[in-house]
Amino acid sequence: MSQTDAHAGAGRGDGGTGTLELRDIVKYYEKPGQGRVLVLDEIDLDVEDGAFVSLLGPSGCGKTTLMNVISGLVERTAGTMRRNGEDVTPDDLSLGYIFQEPRLLNWKTVAENIEFALEARDVPEAEWDERVERYLGMVGLGDEGDNYPTRLSGGMKQRVAIARALATEPEILLMDEPFSSLDEITARDLRQEMLDIWKDEEKTIVFVTHDINEAAFLSDYIYMMNTDGRMFARRDVDIERPRSYDDPAVAEREAELYREFHEHVVE
Amino acid sequence: MNRLQRALYTAASLVVLVAVWYVGGVASSAVPGVPETAAALVTVLTTPGPYDHMFYYHVWKTSEMLLISLVVSMVFGTLIGVALGRSETLESTLSSWIYGWLAVPSLVLVFLAAVWFGFDVKSGYFAVPVVITPFVALNMWEGARSLDRDLTEMADFFGAGRYQTFTDVVIPQLAPFLFASVRSALSIGWKITLLVEAFLLARGVGFMFKRSFDNYDLTAMLSWLIIFVVFLIIIEYGVLAPLHERVMAWRPDADGVRLTE
Repeated sequence: MSQTDAHAGAGRGDGGTGTLELRDIVKYYEKPGQGRVLVLDEIDLDVEDGAFVSLLGPSGCGKTTLMNVISGLVERTAGTMRRNGEDVTPDDLSLGYIFQEPRLLNWKTVAENIEFALEARDVPEAEWDERVERYLGMVGLGDEGDNYPTRLSGGMKQRVAIARALATEPEILLMDEPFSSLDEITARDLRQEMLDIWKDEEKTIVFVTHDINEAAFLSDYIYMMNTDGRMFARRDVDIERPRSYDDPAVAEREAELYREFHEHVVE
Repeated sequence: MNRLQRALYTAASLVVLVAVWYVGGVASSAVPGVPETAAALVTVLTTPGPYDHMFYYHVWKTSEMLLISLVVSMVFGTLIGVALGRSETLESTLSSWIYGWLAVPSLVLVFLAAVWFGFDVKSGYFAVPVVITPFVALNMWEGARSLDRDLTEMADFFGAGRYQTFTDVVIPQLAPFLFASVRSALSIGWKITLLVEAFLLARGVGFMFKRSFDNYDLTAMLSWLIIFVVFLIIIEYGVLAPLHERVMAWRPDADGVRLTE
C-alpha cells in the first residue's frame, strides 16, 4: 500500500468540466523473475463529459490498470492526463469508485459505511444524515441503514457500494466490473438502475467490463483493448435510449463488436 | 440444546466429579477427602490477611503480575507481529527467531530471571512477559498477514487518513486476533506466573501451592486449586466471553440472516 499512499485523497478536487484526455499512457510493472512487464502500451482515451464510456477487453488486458491511472491508485510510467488543455492529476478530479467487490466494512452498519467515505472526504458532519438518506434511497435501500452488510445479499451489498460512491457526489464514477460477480437477474436490475441514476444525476461513468453484451447495452462509446495492453479501437454505440435488453439493435452491435474482437485478440 | 439443558448437563458432570472424588477420598489415603478439603477451603477463605482476606491477597498478587505482564506483552507482541506481517524483509529476517524464542522452555527463563534479578518480583516482571510475548507476536503476525488489501485500497481511494484507516479498517480486522492473543497469553501466563511464585517469591497462589507442598498438605493445595480454577472460570465467563461477544457483534448469526432480492 506504500505505493498508493501518495495518492490518498484522490478525487477530492474540483478540476472543472470538459473532456478528460489521456494520451500515450504507458505502464510497466516490475514482476519478480520476469523483469518489466508492459501493461499499458501508449494508450489514448477520451472521457467526454456526461458520457457512459466502457473499457472492454479480455481478463488481464490492463483495463483496470488504465482506470486506476485515472483514479490515482496506479501511477503511470509515462503519458499525460489533460482537461481543457491543462494537466490534471487524480487529486484534481472529482471521482467515485465502485469496485468489483463491494469492499464494505462489515463491522459497520450500512449507514456508517457511507459515513466512512463522507468522513474520509471531509464532508461536514451536518450533511451526513441527509446524504445517507438520499443515496440509500436512490439505490432502493432506504430501510437498511441500520443493518449490517453481512446480512445483505450480494446485490444489496453492491448497491451500498454504489450509494457510498454517489454520496461523495463525484462528477466521474469509476466502475470496475461492478456486476460481474452477481447473478444475471440481479445484474440486469442493477444495470438498468445504474443507467437511470447516470441520467438523473448527470454523471460521467467510466465502466470496465469483459462482457460485450453489457458494454453494448450500457455505453455511449466503447474502447477495446487486447491482451498486449494495446487499445485497438474506439467504437460508438448509436442506439437510442432507453434501450431494452431484447432490442435487436443491441444484439446486432454486440455481434459486430465480437467479430472485431475475434480478429484482434485471437490469432 | 437450550440453555437450561446445557446448565443441567454441566451441573450433572460436576456432581459426578465430586461423587468420584468422594469415593476416591474414602478408598485411598492418597486423595484428600471431600469433607476435609471443604474444611480447608473454608479456612483459606476466612483466614484474615492483608487486604481483608488471605486468599484475596494471594489471588490479587498473582493477578497483578499477570495483568501487568499481559499489557506489556500485548503492546510489544502486537508491534512485533504487525511489523512482521507488513514487511517482507523483517519477516524473512526475524521469523525463525520468533520460533526459536517460542522454543525456549519457560523454566529456563525463570532460572535466568533468578540469576539476573534475584528472588524478587522483578524476576517475575521479566520472565512472564518474555515467555508470553512471542505467542502474542505469532497471533498478530497472522492477523497482519490476513489484512484485506482491497479494503485498504478502498480507504485510500476515498482519502481516509492514517488515523481513520487505523481505527475503522485495520483494528476491526485485527480484533479477532487481538482477542485470540489475549486468550493464549492468559492461559500460558498463569502457568508461568505460578512457576515464578513457587520458585522465587513469597506471595501469590504459586507460593501457596509450594508452601502446601513443603508441608505435605495436599488438602490445602487442593483448596487453593479450587479457588484458582473458580477464579479462572469467572474470568472466562465473566470477562472474556462477554467481551468477545461485544467485539464480534457485527458477525451474522443464523437467525439474523436476511437474504432478499
